Amino acid sequence: MSLKLHEVEVAFDTQVILKDISLEVARGEVFVLMGPSGHGKTTLLKTMAGLVTPRKGKVYINELDFATLGGAEAFEVLKKLGMLFQKNALFDSFTCGENVAFPLRETTDLSASEIQSKVDLFLEAVGISHAKHLFPDEISGGMQKRLGIARALALNPEIIFYDDPTAGLDPITSRKIVDLIKDLQKKNGSTVIAITNDVNRAYQMATRIALVVDQAIIITGTPEQTKKHPDPRVQQFIRGDLKGPLTDNLGT
Amino acid sequence: MATKSPNRIIRWKETLEQLHFIANGSLSIIVFCVCFAAIVTIIESSFHMKIVIQNDSMVPGFAAMLILRELAVVVTALLLTSRVGAGIAAEVGTMKVTEQIDALKMLGIPPSTYLVIPRLIACIFGTMMLVVVANMACLLSAMVVSNSYLGYPPAIFLTAMRRFVQFQDLILAVVKAAVFGAVIPLISCYFGFRCEAGAEGVGRATTNSVVVGSIAVIVLDFVLSYAFSYLY
Repeated sequence: MSLKLHEVEVAFDTQVILKDISLEVARGEVFVLMGPSGHGKTTLLKTMAGLVTPRKGKVYINELDFATLGGAEAFEVLKKLGMLFQKNALFDSFTCGENVAFPLRETTDLSASEIQSKVDLFLEAVGISHAKHLFPDEISGGMQKRLGIARALALNPEIIFYDDPTAGLDPITSRKIVDLIKDLQKKNGSTVIAITNDVNRAYQMATRIALVVDQAIIITGTPEQTKKHPDPRVQQFIRGDLKGPLTDNLGT
Repeated sequence: MATKSPNRIIRWKETLEQLHFIANGSLSIIVFCVCFAAIVTIIESSFHMKIVIQNDSMVPGFAAMLILRELAVVVTALLLTSRVGAGIAAEVGTMKVTEQIDALKMLGIPPSTYLVIPRLIACIFGTMMLVVVANMACLLSAMVVSNSYLGYPPAIFLTAMRRFVQFQDLILAVVKAAVFGAVIPLISCYFGFRCEAGAEGVGRATTNSVVVGSIAVIVLDFVLSYAFSYLY
């Protein structure tokens, strides 16, 4: 499943969040969005996922213009998308098992026993089967991320969006989550679009990287191309320098 | 994997859960409060009637009419606004700021059908049931106080009640309850869906839902009472 954005502009009231975004993500790619905080990465990801409607431009999923799809068609597209949210967005009144079962119960005709066996399978795949009967606030941040991934994968989506999957995690757990994302992507052959500000993790998993700065994409390329890119903003972001074009206009 | 559309309008399980939360969860507090409201009504009416016309024999009848037409339904609706309305606004608001509503959308489940409709249906039927119970409890406590405080035995209370009120009064009270029951969750969901980020945003959404819900109940009570006055 492929995804394409054509001259997309997003604005909330009078504030422009994204301007003139055009990009294409091919089937099976691991496409990583990086960039300073507050520059529009999450809004871009949500626009790709159909959660934010652009003011201008088009979002195409498998060549279909998402904005023009009716109820049944939109549902057909949505069930091929999965998302891990920045704050995990787990249903806190459901147990971990019920969180994974919920999309299966709501959108498939599987029997209760089939749903349970799938829940066991997904929880096992992300390594938290022991937490099946616990509630999300009873498990650690890393386990919540894993649970979010299990729920996002429950309907075997063809495109999976990860909004900062390693945020707030220690380096070891963060590494485990990235390995899990890579393993699942290889196993399912799905397209992955992820946000991360962890440059090392981005290089570890990406086939292509885009840098979002000042509400626009300033470069896209392979990890190697990104590392060697001459744009000083790219180099400052990669090295994490305090001084440079990204911070000069902030007075820092 | 065979799929089904998640866009079914009525979700029985969620609706019954909400009905349990609204009706069963609010029953004791509503009965407790309306009983006290009825007792105060009887005592105050008697006090003032004795001053003005030196006679409180019409208090049971007037009180029964006031209870059936206004007191039980309005007190019930205001209590539901603060208990249920605040709960709904806080729940939906928290779901909004923690992206749970976006998660529903990603599953193709319209939040309106998953969150609003079960609460709307449950609140309409829950309020109607609670108002019937509240009326019964209110009248019973009024009868007990009339007997013990004013000295009018239950037979006299019931005779006065029959003279002043009709079955239609109860029906119209239930109609009012249905309207209030629809308005409370709609206002709460509206503020919940518009909730801004953070604990402060959830708090503000909850406060606004209770304030606007209470005002809506009082204004609608006036409008409905005025409309129903043509039916009496």
